[in-house]
Amino acid sequence: MTDSISAKPEDSALVRVRGLTTVLNGKKVFDALDIDIPRGKITAIMGPSGTGKTTLLKHITGQMRGDAGEVWVDGHNVAELSRDKLFELRERIGYLFQNSALLTDFDVFENVAFPLRQHTELPEVLIRNIVLTKLQAVGLRGAAGLMPTELSGGMARRVALARAIVFDPMLILYDEPFVGLDPIALNQVLKLIRTLNQTLGITSVLVAHELEAIKQVADHIYLIANGKVVAQGDPKTIANDGSPWTRQFFGGEADGPVPFQYPAGDLGVSLGFPGKNA
Amino acid sequence: MSVASSENIVVRSLSQIGDCGLFLLRMLAAIPRSMRHYRETIRQLWFVGAMSLIIIMVCGLFVGMVLGLQLYDVLSIFGGTSATGTVVAIAIYRELGPVVTALLFAGRAGTSVTAEIGLMRATDQIAAMEMMAVDPIAYVAVPRFLAGVIAMPLLTCVFCALGIFGGHLVGVTWLGIDNGTFWSNMTATVEVVKDVVNGVIWKSVVFGIVVSLIAVFQGYTTPPTSEGVAYATTRTVVASSIAILALDFVLTAFLM
Repeated sequence: MTDSISAKPEDSALVRVRGLTTVLNGKKVFDALDIDIPRGKITAIMGPSGTGKTTLLKHITGQMRGDAGEVWVDGHNVAELSRDKLFELRERIGYLFQNSALLTDFDVFENVAFPLRQHTELPEVLIRNIVLTKLQAVGLRGAAGLMPTELSGGMARRVALARAIVFDPMLILYDEPFVGLDPIALNQVLKLIRTLNQTLGITSVLVAHELEAIKQVADHIYLIANGKVVAQGDPKTIANDGSPWTRQFFGGEADGPVPFQYPAGDLGVSLGFPGKNA
Repeated sequence: MSVASSENIVVRSLSQIGDCGLFLLRMLAAIPRSMRHYRETIRQLWFVGAMSLIIIMVCGLFVGMVLGLQLYDVLSIFGGTSATGTVVAIAIYRELGPVVTALLFAGRAGTSVTAEIGLMRATDQIAAMEMMAVDPIAYVAVPRFLAGVIAMPLLTCVFCALGIFGGHLVGVTWLGIDNGTFWSNMTATVEVVKDVVNGVIWKSVVFGIVVSLIAVFQGYTTPPTSEGVAYATTRTVVASSIAILALDFVLTAFLM
């Protein structure tokens, strides 16, 4: 294990998942999953609901540990990091929560300033400049004084994004960033993701379902189902992939390898109708 | 209730007490780290302490007034109304002050702490802090715990002062007990160590630790659902009330 958390390995993949196996409540969420997230690229993780996309992000950030396998981030085996080293690593990772997770006691400005106040001794003037710059980047400098309850869903998402990039992280993890956004806000968020990636070289991981949106920004897509990667490639390759998985997922078909129905017994029996053998 | 379900309840309760103890150890270990969040502790002191002042003052006043009225009525049978001030003071210092303050604190501040932390968990704010490399135990739990421990003795003192004032209001101003007798009997009988230190200080510090621990623990470990937060809030009041009254007996037995 590398001593310093800031050490940069000669590895083109910033995140490397190898043989990850996770069992939750008796269900195998990951079955020897292998994934590489290349540096400086935007990688999308897609898959049917309940396949463990958010769980994968939790593994990458050390919030969860697998039953087997390894998750390497910037050359560090996340499961082997001490608490302090893990926190040091997390300072270099931005995480956009599905529900924004803004601190409700603080206004927009203080939410974005929170990581700076916690981890630095920067003078107030500098903190103010950094925060206003980040808020300007997400188009919400004018909303600095608003409380989280006064924001729309899209605005809250952008404030959370400003907070996630306040330290100029090496990696940003977006958990369902497009859910509930109107077309205008969705386009703004897409533009922001692309701009952050191009201007700051931030590696991005997107967990989302919106294929059209993903096609516009992602360099690489992983399709996960049944605990494994069932398809991967750039958006064009994935779109033309003829496998039953991609056909069903991207075509929105009810029939295919992913069952629409959660496992259940016979409907007739559940409704109280006599069975064939009655 | 079957024997098996009774055993389950006992095992669950013991397990919760064990978890609560481990959580206390985690908080104690995080106190040095939380020192840099001293502003948050002061902010919480305002919320759980200063914001509880009104209810504590009003209740203290009325408890003292009722006590003065009842004691005057009983003591007048034996011609001992001059002892009203003494008995009011001893009852408030030894028992009513710390116990009623702790019960009120659990209902007012304890529940708000539990609900606040529970909602923070339900809305991923705790997870967001962890992702921002901020230790939620040091930033969220410890400041609220310390604020409760600091606030409780101060609130108890306020309760006691208002209680005695209430007793004086009824006994002297309303029922005509001599002012000098009221105060001189009280100061001659009340002992600083036995009544004030053992009664007010020790008990309120212990109650402060217990109520704050229960409130923070329940909030921190609540399931992240609206139902979970509601149950946790209820559990804070129930567990705190039982702990306060049980500990009051134990402390009284040891400190007498």
